Amino acid sequence: MNEVVAFWILSAVAVLGALVAVRKRNLIHGVFALLVFFAGLSGLFLLLLAEFIAAVQVLVYIGAVGVLLLFAIMLTERVAGDDDRRMTSRGWSWGLVMAAAVFVVLLLPPILQLPSPEAAQPIKPSVEELGHKLMNPYVVTLEVLALLLTAALIGAVTAAQGVRMPKEENSPE
Amino acid sequence: MSLELLIDILIATVPLMLIFATLFAFTTWLERKVLARIQNRRGPNKVGIPCTRISLFGLGQPAADGIKMLFKEDIVPRGADRLFHLLAPILALIPAMLVLCFLPLDFPWVNEDSVKAFLLDGAVIFFFAITGLNTLAVFMAGWASRNKYSLLGGMRAVAQMVSYEIPLVLSAVIVVMMVGSLNAAEIAGEQTGGHWFVFSPWGFAAFVIFFIAALAETNRSPFDLPEAESEIIAGYFTEYSGFKFALFFLGEYIAMFAISGLAVTLFFGGGDGPGLAAAPWLSVVWFLTKIFALIAVMIWLRGTLPRLRVDQLMGFAWKFMLPLSILNILVAGFAWHAEQLDNTFITVITWVISLAVLYGAASGLNQLNRPNVRPREYKYAE
Repeated sequence: MNEVVAFWILSAVAVLGALVAVRKRNLIHGVFALLVFFAGLSGLFLLLLAEFIAAVQVLVYIGAVGVLLLFAIMLTERVAGDDDRRMTSRGWSWGLVMAAAVFVVLLLPPILQLPSPEAAQPIKPSVEELGHKLMNPYVVTLEVLALLLTAALIGAVTAAQGVRMPKEENSPE
Repeated sequence: MSLELLIDILIATVPLMLIFATLFAFTTWLERKVLARIQNRRGPNKVGIPCTRISLFGLGQPAADGIKMLFKEDIVPRGADRLFHLLAPILALIPAMLVLCFLPLDFPWVNEDSVKAFLLDGAVIFFFAITGLNTLAVFMAGWASRNKYSLLGGMRAVAQMVSYEIPLVLSAVIVVMMVGSLNAAEIAGEQTGGHWFVFSPWGFAAFVIFFIAALAETNRSPFDLPEAESEIIAGYFTEYSGFKFALFFLGEYIAMFAISGLAVTLFFGGGDGPGLAAAPWLSVVWFLTKIFALIAVMIWLRGTLPRLRVDQLMGFAWKFMLPLSILNILVAGFAWHAEQLDNTFITVITWVISLAVLYGAASGLNQLNRPNVRPREYKYAE
């Protein structure tokens, strides 16, 4: 019973967050609403006992992506957040079609294939299991990803350093 | 929800909040006293027991401050975003309070079978995930105040916290690697009997990196640029007064306790200490004592070091701490394999080599990062 109540509360938070994120004119408000949506999603993961994914959801999406979005807005001229320009809403019917297509093609088949709650096999998702899986069958993937991320990190540092100008001789004083 | 579960949760969480809120009050007093001592002043020494002349070294000062904060007028700037201005201090406090439950503090009064957050398999990851939310609160405060100094402070805070979170997490990775678990209680349990991680070259290097990054994460001096009062008034909480300001203050100190608690868990063996076999409840005392030792170092540093410049801050994180912590992970990996061999000679060799590598890397990075500045040439003055 507790789980059902928690599920509905978290879902309501997530859906409301997503709606506000889409509808808000104010960009900063929109970003924070998006973060509320992420938080709701993380709670839903927690409800499914996927604690690791819940933590990573908070760490990556709220912590990193959220801050990145805020940074991006800070670098634009709309820092103040209030934007009176009208948003075009002409293509909304196409958006609806795309959303329906995503739902029917990508989401509906797996939902239909789900076993009924009674027939579902109880599994014990644990961080330990995940760690063993990452270290044993998927170690190459993990290493490649780690290498990629390290390269991105070093690349970011190098890019931030900028181009070193060769020193001009006899520079005017 | 059953009543027993509710009572269990309350028994586990309410003392945690009370203890740390009391410690907060005491720490503000201690900090003011110590800073005063460093600067040859007396610090708060008037407030004691009300209606008497007993001053008790000014120990009543935190209570007086609290009452003052409560009754102060709450001012919101006209242009401010009222909702976010209200939410920011709350959002600053909640994550700091929340992560306290991931510290392996084994209170004797908590039911043996009740759920303990620090026994989660991902406790350490949760800790980092939730402390990261503090950044958002700081940004929210800076943006909602509609004040240039606030926004500057918020931006500084975000840039600083994002940069220092990487060395912070990378140095914690070493301990996770050595133990093979993200469970806070297991990490602390691995170090019982004085086998603390800080007593090894890689562990010590990791602790130093962790501690410096923790200072930056909690906006402590010498990394207090987001609230640098000589540059940007008070940074992101310039426009806050009264109880909202108090909430920021409280959140900052609780975050200090929390991150020190994590440092104690990772590097100082959690509640490990003498006399545990006779009295298991001592573990809480030891834990809090170690936290206080770290807090004392933080206060001492605040009284001693001048503030960094923004470019020094960023350069230090990206060009010194980051390479060193990545190298330290490599060293720790080799050391782990060497320890598996269980040979005294090999262990000694590993220690010597890793000490040499870490010291060499640190001094090499130091050399590389020397600013390329020639001595100033005076043209018109001799």
